[in-house]
Amino acid sequence: MSLRLGDKAFFLAALFIVLLALPSFCLAAENTIGVIMTGDIPYYQELHKSFMARLGQLGLASKTEVIVQKPYPDHISLSNAARKLIAMDVDVIVVYGAPAAIAVVKERTKIPMVYAAVYEPFMSELKTRHSTGVYVRLSISSLLRYLRSLRSIKTLGVVYSSNEEDSVYQFSELAKLAAQYGMRVEGINLKRHQEAQAMLAKRRMDAVLIAGSSVAHMAMGQIIEYAKANVIPYASFFLSTDGRAMVSLAANPGQQGDKIADKTQKILDGVSPDKVKADAASEIELVFNMKDATSMGMKLPMELVTEATKLIK
Amino acid sequence: MTFLLILAAVMAWPLRAWGDEILIGLIPEENIFNQMERHRPLAAYLSKKVGTTVRFTILSRYGDVMDRFVSRKMDGAFFGVFTGVLAIDRIDAEPIARPVSPSGSAIVQSYIFVRNDSGIRDIKDMQGKRITFVDRATVTGYLYALSYLRGNGVASPETFFKEVSFAGSHGSTIYAVLDGRSDIGTVKSTIFQKLVAKDPVIKEELTIIAKSRELPDTTLFLRKDLPQSLRAKMKAVLLAMDKDPEGMEVLKKLEAQKFIDAKKEDFAAFYDIARTAGISVKTYKYR
Repeated sequence: MSLRLGDKAFFLAALFIVLLALPSFCLAAENTIGVIMTGDIPYYQELHKSFMARLGQLGLASKTEVIVQKPYPDHISLSNAARKLIAMDVDVIVVYGAPAAIAVVKERTKIPMVYAAVYEPFMSELKTRHSTGVYVRLSISSLLRYLRSLRSIKTLGVVYSSNEEDSVYQFSELAKLAAQYGMRVEGINLKRHQEAQAMLAKRRMDAVLIAGSSVAHMAMGQIIEYAKANVIPYASFFLSTDGRAMVSLAANPGQQGDKIADKTQKILDGVSPDKVKADAASEIELVFNMKDATSMGMKLPMELVTEATKLIK
Repeated sequence: MTFLLILAAVMAWPLRAWGDEILIGLIPEENIFNQMERHRPLAAYLSKKVGTTVRFTILSRYGDVMDRFVSRKMDGAFFGVFTGVLAIDRIDAEPIARPVSPSGSAIVQSYIFVRNDSGIRDIKDMQGKRITFVDRATVTGYLYALSYLRGNGVASPETFFKEVSFAGSHGSTIYAVLDGRSDIGTVKSTIFQKLVAKDPVIKEELTIIAKSRELPDTTLFLRKDLPQSLRAKMKAVLLAMDKDPEGMEVLKKLEAQKFIDAKKEDFAAFYDIARTAGISVKTYKYR
């Protein structure tokens, strides 16, 4: 049988396309992991970096496709991100932060979920047969205590977001504590980080505490600018690498990334999530930014400096 | 080896001639800056009343206390229970007096404590957790906890706990547990109570799960080769401070009610703890 020139060209082109597609078909990932960050902030980026590095160490990186979703930290965006991953039928959904974890749980999916950076009081909402992960136990009173040692506080500004349940909880706990210390609390409920400057303007506060909210951390630059202009101390519940607070108390993101990669591996190996023990992040860091404090004319008390796990000079 | 080094240092110790000043060491019990601040008026008062310059200095860390005491040729020191026993046993120092707290107590206890929300209530819950001690050379910040653990069948804290750390001071140990940097801490009761009095919120957040028997609080020791007249004068001045208006002011700044007499026998309770902890003062490696 002889082929005409046109047929031959068509046949070769078809063969080329098949050959081109063949390697990707042969090398298709064995596993798919969907990741949802509660906002694209440096803390979660660092956590994700460690997660990926650990997957590599476990030999999973080459045979795993990781789809990362970075929705804006509001209920609709988080829910959309969860639905997208569920529709893609990923093998495991990995989430950073309580709001993302809650969004996945609300979808009632049976896809296993591994969470990190979830504030402990929200653990009860995540206790399903399909989830495990790393939770964080942080002392609200400790952060407030360190902040108070920098300056006498009559009015404490707390930046949080009503879209992020954990930050709302921290705000209410701070309000209770503040009452015990005779302080007035001014809540700054940020729903969009772009609104920070307008919401902070004309407020009179003696210190600012940034709750564990991604929106608040996306507005970190504006908050620091406000604090510096008003010469007031500021503290944060995240370790923000792009604009460090004067005092930060947070669980080490690197350790959490390692831990959730190990849990993810077990699930991919077929272990049921309810057989993979959830545990607390044990590396808690207390960081003091002496550089900013000094430049603002504030002196960190030595008793405070000696407690730090890290000092920025 | 440690013993030989100390012995060698002890032999060299009396070479410093007393006369120019009396140098007294302070063990780093709490924040050292606060500690120096509290003791400064006492130094001035003693200098005036004894007639010789009295100076206080911080002995950098518990484990080095005895060596530093000897190497820096000190005349005396405020020692805790374990360091006091070492001072009696190894350099034959003499207990002189000890301060009574504003609440009227001159005794201390060791507390083993946790955060309320930790879920830890006894030895069963402690396995696999993080524990923070103060230093190997303290009874209230380590040896009592060791005796508690050994008494509950824990042979090796290093394998029983997920993480064992030493904070270096009682205050830092409390903050480590408060912040969540550690799960379990062991400290001296007086430092615990002082922080609680300063910040009542701390009391709501921490739970004491074990207490030691009563032990003597920090005690001033003096070298026995100091002139007897000087030691006696120092003791007399300290014991009479609460009857002198100027002395009372100094006591207030020191956060003490008065000084009371101290004796070697006060330290007897230590040996029970040491026995349960499985240590001997002669051979215990505390560094």
